[in-house]
Amino acid sequence: MALVRIALAGEGGQGVQSIAEILAEAAYNENQQALYIPNFGLEQRGGVSIAFLQFSDKRIGAPKFQKADIVIALSERAVARTISYSGAETLYVYDSSFKVEAEELPQQAKQIIALPAIDTANNELHPRVFNIIIMGAVIGLSNVVSFEAAKAALEHKLGYKFEKDPKLRELNFKALEIGREMAEKSLKEGVAINA
Amino acid sequence: MERVIGESKKSFMTGNEAAAWACLAAGADIMFGYPITPQNEIMHYWTRMAPKYGKGFLQTEDELSAGFTVCGGVQSGKKAFTATAGPGNVLMQEPFGMAEAMRLPLLAIIQQRGGPSSGTVVYSQQEVSLTTYGGNGEGHRIVYSTSTHQEIFDYIIKGFNTAWKFRFPVFILGDGYQAKMREPLEMYDPESRGIKMEEAYPLIGLGGKIGQDRGPSHLCNIYSLEEELYEVITKVQAEYDALAPQITEYDEKFCEDADIILVTHGVVSRAADDAVKALRAQGIKAGYFRPITLRPFPQQELRAAIAKSGAKKLLIAESAIGQLERLVKQEIYGETVKIETLFMPGVGIIESDLIDKVKSVL
Repeated sequence: MALVRIALAGEGGQGVQSIAEILAEAAYNENQQALYIPNFGLEQRGGVSIAFLQFSDKRIGAPKFQKADIVIALSERAVARTISYSGAETLYVYDSSFKVEAEELPQQAKQIIALPAIDTANNELHPRVFNIIIMGAVIGLSNVVSFEAAKAALEHKLGYKFEKDPKLRELNFKALEIGREMAEKSLKEGVAINA
Repeated sequence: MERVIGESKKSFMTGNEAAAWACLAAGADIMFGYPITPQNEIMHYWTRMAPKYGKGFLQTEDELSAGFTVCGGVQSGKKAFTATAGPGNVLMQEPFGMAEAMRLPLLAIIQQRGGPSSGTVVYSQQEVSLTTYGGNGEGHRIVYSTSTHQEIFDYIIKGFNTAWKFRFPVFILGDGYQAKMREPLEMYDPESRGIKMEEAYPLIGLGGKIGQDRGPSHLCNIYSLEEELYEVITKVQAEYDALAPQITEYDEKFCEDADIILVTHGVVSRAADDAVKALRAQGIKAGYFRPITLRPFPQQELRAAIAKSGAKKLLIAESAIGQLERLVKQEIYGETVKIETLFMPGVGIIESDLIDKVKSVL
């Protein structure tokens, strides 16, 4: 696989860094090269938290990057914070519930997609699996890891919780699947913009 | 020595975790430390693992104390180490100076953060001057600048051996990115790779009668006479210079016909490696030179790379303002190659930064 660079950004507590770590580990378990670095400046104490992810079949160079292939903004503040990571080749993703004007979205992007992840989590599943829907969406958008590897990595990370409450496993796997489908559907329906 | 890894195994973890495992695999006995970001997890992982393997840990009241307790630890014959960053590295220069004076084989892992003062908790390459020549001495120390988790693991193992074999303090110079990022590496027990670990031995409290059974163990960091100090420092300098060729390490690529050679160290050399390959693909003859040891510096090797390539320019790039550049300039004094620079203090450098810079100066 050629190098894929992903920036995930959200509020502290949304589980952005957790899913970044799980995705990176899943890729590693599939014998890919993967590099994950969180931003860990003072802004993580009550600010937008960004995870920088890179996947490749070759050795990965610098740990951070300026333009991502995929940016996912998980809060309104995260939209403003991630505009600089969006370039002419970037797939820019945000949540359809955000009240953002067109001019607040990046002017440079290959495609801009709004996903109903927050509504789906709140209405169909559970707010706590919002981040897992996003994890599924990353797979749907990029195929950086296989669905099976993602499930295995989730099991590895959360298995001890699943053992106590098997319904949690079902809920998480369902969220992963819904996220993937949501992203695949949006990609097909999405209209490429000429930025 | 106890095998802690068993079969060598591929792992995916942070650099801090890799560092703690490496110390364990190298047979380190005890860590003395004081918390500071971004090295904290070295302490966290060490304290989690240490009890299982009968290893020690002491959190001291500050970095001065952590540095001096490491000095004490190695004198008692223990493989002792510490880890710090930024202002903690500043405080530890006093005990590190003592280690230079008394030839103490301590190992310190430095995860550079932004400076001056508290700066940022994130990343920089601004502790190069401090780590190579900090203290009120002559820089009689060995500094490995790592660029990957594999190197963190490899050079910590090597570093303990270098320290105990040559009796100079050894520094593993990483940074916040290397500390916090996760990437794959392969961990192993040194013996399984045919690496013999040097035995630690006490430097004080030795048995036998001085002058009869053994010579004196003279560990001294203060002298009454100027001439006495002069004699000792001159002798140590001569030993350091004589050992340097055995210790010096570097990496070089595409320098045979290079018009411009990129000189970088540490994590920035990953971007330089990619940049040089991309430039070559575009027909630009770029070369790559990376000092792995910043002390002693691969002076002859860099001069040779300049000579054989006939390069007209060096591009020195670093996440600091000229700390590597000053080292390079003092080491290659007299060369007429033109020096270009890309200084980005406290922030990362990616391959496009380097590619753009090369194109702007060629």
